[in-house]
Amino acid sequence: MSVTDTPRDGSTVHPTAQPPVEPTSATGHAEPGPGRPTVLAVATAASMLVLLVGALLWAPTDRLQGDVQRIFYIHVPAAWIGMLAFGVVFVASIAYLVTRRARWDRLAASSAEVGVVFTTGVMLTGPLWGRPVWGVYWDWDPRLTSFFILWLLYISYLVLRSYVTEPTRRARYSAVLGIIAFLDVPLVYVSVRWWRSLHPGPVVANPEGPQLPGSMLAVLLVGIVAFTLLYLLLLRLRIDNAAREDELTAPRRHAPAAGHRGA
Amino acid sequence: MRTLRHARRIAAKDLRIELRTRDILTAMGLFALLIVVVASFSFPTASEHREQIAAGLLWMAFLFAALLGIGRSLAMEHEHACIDALVTSPVPRESIYLGKVLSNLAFVGVAQLLLLPVSIVLLQLTPGRGLALLLVTVALATVALVAVTTLLSAMAVNTRTREAILPLLVIPVALPVLIAAVQATSIALTGGTLTAATPWLLLLTATAALFLLLGLATFRHVLEE
Repeated sequence: MSVTDTPRDGSTVHPTAQPPVEPTSATGHAEPGPGRPTVLAVATAASMLVLLVGALLWAPTDRLQGDVQRIFYIHVPAAWIGMLAFGVVFVASIAYLVTRRARWDRLAASSAEVGVVFTTGVMLTGPLWGRPVWGVYWDWDPRLTSFFILWLLYISYLVLRSYVTEPTRRARYSAVLGIIAFLDVPLVYVSVRWWRSLHPGPVVANPEGPQLPGSMLAVLLVGIVAFTLLYLLLLRLRIDNAAREDELTAPRRHAPAAGHRGA
Repeated sequence: MRTLRHARRIAAKDLRIELRTRDILTAMGLFALLIVVVASFSFPTASEHREQIAAGLLWMAFLFAALLGIGRSLAMEHEHACIDALVTSPVPRESIYLGKVLSNLAFVGVAQLLLLPVSIVLLQLTPGRGLALLLVTVALATVALVAVTTLLSAMAVNTRTREAILPLLVIPVALPVLIAAVQATSIALTGGTLTAATPWLLLLTATAALFLLLGLATFRHVLEE
């Protein structure tokens, strides 16, 4: 909690107080540069504010769905982040296996953790919207099912991490799973689509009209920017946190770490 | 070629152990049969949707039996420290992976060949001319399932809970295989021919190829201690 608070506090006092005031840099963890998360935090907060005003006040009310439609402005950006974060896990996993640098493993793990938060948000906001509009909380529609499976893949990645204690082994194993899981996503999508289209099931209405009015699209774009900034901010904080965790455990695994390649 | 020859030797070792103990096949075969029995009580297997229910049921039995058998087959390597000997022996890591895939394919395949006729009788199925499609589907989906399960169980046996974590790793990744396999099997059981299920067979082929390639590419990162 304190980790998230410090950069925000630092940013709000920034115009009046001068940089040396920032307490985080004095504690010795200044290496990643506390200035960047503060700028990021301000940008995130500002864009979130714009999104809030845009989504709740400025955007027109949907003629058919009413105010319920406004959940779209956080649902779709969260879904976008869910996929982006998974892509980051994939790239970082490959980079780890090639370079064997611990920072890539920290990036993959952090992105998965932040990604699962957003994906859970998608899984929660979807049914909230589905109930009034479709009449049901859940339907095995291709997009819903694919996203549910994506969420399950994230969870199994994090479960694997929590069950392997030795750090380099954990990094290797989770990198392998991160690669498999990401390449699995297109197969999931194709199989679920074919399954539903070959199967005569209840036909689900198109979630939003075929074309989106300009003002709605503008708010959606703001939402995507705001959520991307939030993702980067959370990712940054989580990576710093992971780096500190590694520093704490480093002295203890110094001796085995030296010989881990041969052992 | 040499990779394949080493792989055959490793698989032959597994089959020889299995012929002497019959541990894995007994456990897998009986477990799969019990799943079919329990499911027969649980689902309306005599209803008009019999074929669809049977298709899902068969694949649940195949999946859980494969998880049990392959988990055992990799855990066995650890119990007798055989994996250390394999890792230090001068064979490529790819051979170890392929060898384990081959022996696991043999275990799962034999269990399936035993279970299929029994299930056809117990669930009152009449595949008729769908039999060819049924066998092709089972073959393709099993290659995909075994390829990914062998890789993931090599990791699972090195975790805190050993094989217990294996289903959590395999099932989400294997969901496309299961969806395609159940759909193609359902078509086969209602008497469909190979052409009726072409998209599913293509998807299964692509998945099997992808999982095998990923296994070959990443297995050396798994077996690195």
